[in-house]
Amino acid sequence: MDERRVRMRDEAVAWAVRVDDPGFADWDGFTAWLEADARHAEAYDHAVLAAEAADAGLIVPASTPVIRPAPALRQPLPRRRALGWLGGAVAASLVAVAGVQVFQDRAQPYAVETAAGETRVIALADGSRVALNGGTRLTLDRADAREVTLERGEALFTVAHDDRDPFTVHAGNAEIVDLGTVFNVVREGGETRVGVAEGLVAYNPDAENVRLEPGETLVDAQGVIRLGRAATGDIGGWKAGRLVYEGAPLTQVAGDLARATGTRVAVAPAIAARQFTGVIALPEKRAGFVAELGPLLDVEVQPGEQGVTLSPRNRVAP
Amino acid sequence: MSADGLEAVFLAQRDVLLRFLRARGGGEAAEDLLQELWVRIHEAGARGLGGPVAQPLSYLYRMADNLMRDRYRSERQATLRDKSWTEDHSGAMPGVSDAPSGERVLIARERLARAVAAIDALGPRAAAIFRRHRIDGVTQRAIAGEMGVSVSTVESDLRTAYRALADLQEREDEA
Repeated sequence: MDERRVRMRDEAVAWAVRVDDPGFADWDGFTAWLEADARHAEAYDHAVLAAEAADAGLIVPASTPVIRPAPALRQPLPRRRALGWLGGAVAASLVAVAGVQVFQDRAQPYAVETAAGETRVIALADGSRVALNGGTRLTLDRADAREVTLERGEALFTVAHDDRDPFTVHAGNAEIVDLGTVFNVVREGGETRVGVAEGLVAYNPDAENVRLEPGETLVDAQGVIRLGRAATGDIGGWKAGRLVYEGAPLTQVAGDLARATGTRVAVAPAIAARQFTGVIALPEKRAGFVAELGPLLDVEVQPGEQGVTLSPRNRVAP
Repeated sequence: MSADGLEAVFLAQRDVLLRFLRARGGGEAAEDLLQELWVRIHEAGARGLGGPVAQPLSYLYRMADNLMRDRYRSERQATLRDKSWTEDHSGAMPGVSDAPSGERVLIARERLARAVAAIDALGPRAAAIFRRHRIDGVTQRAIAGEMGVSVSTVESDLRTAYRALADLQEREDEA
């Protein structure tokens, strides 16, 4: 780049920075600079657009969801081993997209993702609906709407029931099979949590076969299953902006807040096992919300570079 | 000031705004753009977004600037789409939708990751200032107050960050 172009670029950057300030008022000066050279406008547009490039990665509440079509498989998806296969799907999608039209009846997996802080509802071909909380990745199959995999995050399933073809959610190594239902599933940090709002769900019908009725919850922490209860209205409450807890570990609260707000939330080891009981009402505008929760959670919310950390409160000695 | 008031200011300042749009890259099309701006003001008023505006002229300038930004952004996206279309589909399958291919999504993600890395590489202070400015929309004066540095330091850090992203974009456009 020659010296004159560098200078023009630097001037354009300086104006972009100034104009982007909400308090900017020197429009006359800006107009004069634009008029000084016909190329200034484009240099400025360049600088403005380039500055947007990182926005979606800094904090992500408003980014658009990513739908990633994967290539058709020669073999149908193995039912229990869906996760292992999906790892290769991304790499495979680089190789070939052709063939999708040919194998209509084969598995046609695709993924729907939400960024943290973003929610989304998708309708499936069978009339079922899935509401995705933030930070969630769900893989589905165009050829079989009755089989989905929750890779991570949280989703509320409202399922069109069919006795002959039950709706199945894979999460971790488990299968969650609906028997007519509204239910919520969270997959996070090696743990799967299920709550049933309506109907009946079978958890791992081929193994433990735990039947969950409305108001019942289940936590599967790497094979150790615990059952609990919750008000049916609170299951999937995130969808209405309400997070309701009764003796939930702080790490779980942190994960829920991160999905809902887009702010990364870590928990200091000293209080990771601490439990929280209470209701968190999520506001419309969620950026910066976690910072206000210190008193409610009885923690210090410490801002860091990537997000916030919940730490023990510094109590002043009496 | 209400939306009606905004319209009054628009009419009174028509010439300055026209001159700005012309210089801002509108050139010959500046009259049409001014018309588009007028429509936007109406729509903002109709949706109840007209709200009280403290600095009406500055507000109108900003709307004009945003109008030009939007145009540039969509022109650029159209160009990139055409470009990647011809590159991806030189033997294209007929009837294939232009939903983002897996590859294009991956490329977009890699670009994003590189942009974020470029910001992080500036060091924690500049990166934090940039976030506060871009994402939270805090004024540079307020950021200076929060971080205990001068306004010119904030501005200089932001210029460095914008420059780093402009350089990155230039390299990627050439690639």
